[in-house]
Amino acid sequence: MGKVIVVTSGKGGVGKTTSTANLGTALALIGKTVVVIDADVGLRNLDVVMGLESRIVYTSMDVIENRCELSRALVKDKRVEGLMLLAASQKNNKDDIQPEQMKAICTELRATHDFVLVDSPAGIESGFRNAAAGAEEALVITTPDVSAIRDADRITGLLQHEGVEPINLVLNRLSPEMVRKGNMVSQSDVVGLLNLKLIGVVPEDREVIASTNRGIPLVHNKNSPGAQAYMRIAKRLTGQRIPIPELREKGFFSNILDWFSGNK
Amino acid sequence: MNLRRLFGRQPKSSSVARERLRLVISQDRFDVDEESMRRLQAELMQVLSKHFDFHVDEVRMSLKQRGNSYVLTADFPNVNANKQA
Repeated sequence: MGKVIVVTSGKGGVGKTTSTANLGTALALIGKTVVVIDADVGLRNLDVVMGLESRIVYTSMDVIENRCELSRALVKDKRVEGLMLLAASQKNNKDDIQPEQMKAICTELRATHDFVLVDSPAGIESGFRNAAAGAEEALVITTPDVSAIRDADRITGLLQHEGVEPINLVLNRLSPEMVRKGNMVSQSDVVGLLNLKLIGVVPEDREVIASTNRGIPLVHNKNSPGAQAYMRIAKRLTGQRIPIPELREKGFFSNILDWFSGNK
Repeated sequence: MNLRRLFGRQPKSSSVARERLRLVISQDRFDVDEESMRRLQAELMQVLSKHFDFHVDEVRMSLKQRGNSYVLTADFPNVNANKQA
């Protein structure tokens, strides 16, 4: 029996979809069977981030309205074995799906896969409630800015109310340089404020934009710091104990190496 | 800190953010809606009116944060001993 994990944040634009695509890919790369579900009905994007937009025939709405079997609606990933996408309908809106229907899909998928990751839409309304309906665990994504952290706390309260447990925190887009200069709240500040268990810190990584442009999740670019961070989170999700050190700036030497390798 | 103030240096924006978040998050978590505050005030007034006379429209209730906890203050100015009491 697999785990159903909702990936959520409250605020938009903090990296829910990027994190879902990368963690799903990372879990599949370490040999797990994974389905990633786009729960953002009407504003789907997980397909483009994963580069699968041209392969979608059926969506979760087709499954719910009995036009197609769930197994046939799953789109196989191009690059990794064991990774599937269930796309959201682009023609419907968030109120066209009921929490019980989402729950039924998650229940069916977890019977045959190790992990089901549900990419939640932003907000605290029906879209979020549907995404969370079938989940037993949650990953709350936040960036180190005031509005994202506040919304993360709100969404945590709602998840706790629904009995979702454990709720793990992913701190995305942290810049150690800005933290040092006192222009960004630190990892320990965020953990202290939200009082959640931190499962990983993803450094600000410009490669994310290039990887989204190409539709190839960052984790395929093994040298990027963001990819390595996502790989470590995936391993922690499988129960491996990997310590989370406070992120440091790169030293003088590695900056010079980057300069020579054109990886500025 | 005080020296920095003296020389016109502003506190780091990260510590400002931390303090603002601490306040706003604890307010969000406390989540008392106005309707239940009004009900509480009505119930308090009902109990107190058995023992005191007071002007109903002068009653004030407030909820303020002090550190990590909250202080609920109810103000009943100009109370007089209730004649029936």
